[in-house]
Amino acid sequence: MFLQHLINALSVGAVYALLAIGYNMVYGVLEKLNFAHGDVYAVGCFVTFSLLGGMNPILAILIGCCVGFILNVGVERFAYRPLRNSGRVAPTISAVGIAYIMRNVIQLIWGAETFSFDLGIFKAGSIDVGGVVIGTLQIYLFIIAVALMVIISLALKYTKWGQGIICISQNIETAALMGIPVNRVIAIVYGLGAALGVIGGLLFCQYYQFIFMGIGFAYGTMKAWMASIWGGIGSLKGAIVGAMVLGLAETMVSAYISSTYRDAFVWAIFIAFIIIRPQGMFPAQGAEKI
Amino acid sequence: MKKLDKKFIIFIVFMVAVLLVPFVVTNSYMLRVLCNVMIYSIIALSINLIVGYSGQLDFGRAAFVGLGSYCSAILFTTLHVPFILSFLAGGLFSALFGALLGMLCRYSSFDYLTLITIGFSEICRKVFQNWYAVTNGSFGFRTSRPEFFGFVLDTPASMYYFCLLILVICYIAIKRITKSKYGRAYMALRDDSIAASYAGIDVKKFKLNCFVIASFFTGIAGALMAHFTTFISPTVYTTDESLLELQMAILGGLGSLPGSILGAGILTIVPEVSRAAYEYRLLIMGVMMVILMLFAPKGLLGRGGVWDKVVSLIRKKGGKNENK
Repeated sequence: MFLQHLINALSVGAVYALLAIGYNMVYGVLEKLNFAHGDVYAVGCFVTFSLLGGMNPILAILIGCCVGFILNVGVERFAYRPLRNSGRVAPTISAVGIAYIMRNVIQLIWGAETFSFDLGIFKAGSIDVGGVVIGTLQIYLFIIAVALMVIISLALKYTKWGQGIICISQNIETAALMGIPVNRVIAIVYGLGAALGVIGGLLFCQYYQFIFMGIGFAYGTMKAWMASIWGGIGSLKGAIVGAMVLGLAETMVSAYISSTYRDAFVWAIFIAFIIIRPQGMFPAQGAEKI
Repeated sequence: MKKLDKKFIIFIVFMVAVLLVPFVVTNSYMLRVLCNVMIYSIIALSINLIVGYSGQLDFGRAAFVGLGSYCSAILFTTLHVPFILSFLAGGLFSALFGALLGMLCRYSSFDYLTLITIGFSEICRKVFQNWYAVTNGSFGFRTSRPEFFGFVLDTPASMYYFCLLILVICYIAIKRITKSKYGRAYMALRDDSIAASYAGIDVKKFKLNCFVIASFFTGIAGALMAHFTTFISPTVYTTDESLLELQMAILGGLGSLPGSILGAGILTIVPEVSRAAYEYRLLIMGVMMVILMLFAPKGLLGRGGVWDKVVSLIRKKGGKNENK
């Protein structure tokens, strides 16, 4: 039974990892709370959802990613960039405003109902390994999460853009002096973050087989944020490990302690953790005031 | 001296007008809305103390409103404690948890603090929702109107005066706090906590007591809300509610106490008036938040906010005319 719980925890963790990778990338660059992340990518997910009816699912996913990319670049340009140097309260509040706008847009276009959701790519099935049932979807999710992490880490390390992103995350002024087009790179990071978020959000919906307007905030922003801080801000490995720990905590609490108070216990564990180790498990290199 | 007199006269006229409202407005719906404005004003004032004066971004105020509401209502209805005691106990209970949260937050800075406050409010919400033995869980908790020595405040007008009384007391108390040593210390640690610690201000201690004091007022507002609506539902105390309350303080202007009341008034009355546009409520709120942050991050009455700009614009124009 414990092994089964462990497998479930890891697959929930894999879903959260997909959400956290995009969030952590954006969070790591500017270290600004991005409350709108979830709600922006939720719009992309809904676009894919309505295209799924008569289109190749892969194409629909790509279009959803593009919508998320464009949307977040626009949001960055008009709501975050003017506030980049005005303290921490102002950008946070404007991000909350964007989140509200996006959620309301979804509600107006698609309505507030919960829809059933199926991408139609993954064949349902499961493998039985010595009494432990592993869904094939769970394996796919895990592989996709690790593959995305590896691809992004390699891109950050070996491409010029990636080095630019790392440079900006260390110091914006110095990066500008080195001839890095700061504004363009940051806009692209936000766009990519949202595009990754769309992929993560779609796989999340595929895993739970539903989609509704609240997926952005409660499941997207909050879980991704928790996973990012748990793992370490600005580190992709941290995002995945943090997401796994989050999944583990949720599954184990509901299995062994109490399923009604699951969220309360997870938050309590989480608060205790960030008080003991606020920099997360695998912090990115560089100093940060805590 | 002349200017001060003018201000004083305006203040007296305003207070008389406010006191006469129940005689003019006999519509009980309108009075209910005004009571709501006053209750939210107290919450916005307490948020102003945390966010505006000491610069900590708290996203979990609704939890403290809930703690105050439940404590006061349970003491009054289930345990039959006299009203005034249970009312104050609501504030003190909330302040106790404020102290707990403040202890946790002493060592953490901005983002972590925001996350801890959200987490705390989620934990509280889960407990309100699931602890059936005490809070009656998701069915909600029913309580009754305030009662003093046999008098029951069951008419809208009496409730209006009671809310007004509590609001005035809270306003004066918070005003005194911000003018005292404490208020100056909060502002110092908001502007630069390192410089403040060099000036001999115990940053951690003041962060903690800021949370305690503000939580007390939030709890009082919660207790007032519980006895005003006579029904507590755990679905109210969400992060969205906290954000709405935060927005009242920001719209009015962080660091401006009359601003908080104005913000609470606008954000309570506008949704009531525009019930037809209920579907667009979040959209309107969101657009307002973004535009406010882009063009007037200091709010309406904050220092350097919209009001100050308008005043300086008028003065400039007046000056030019005089020169001509």
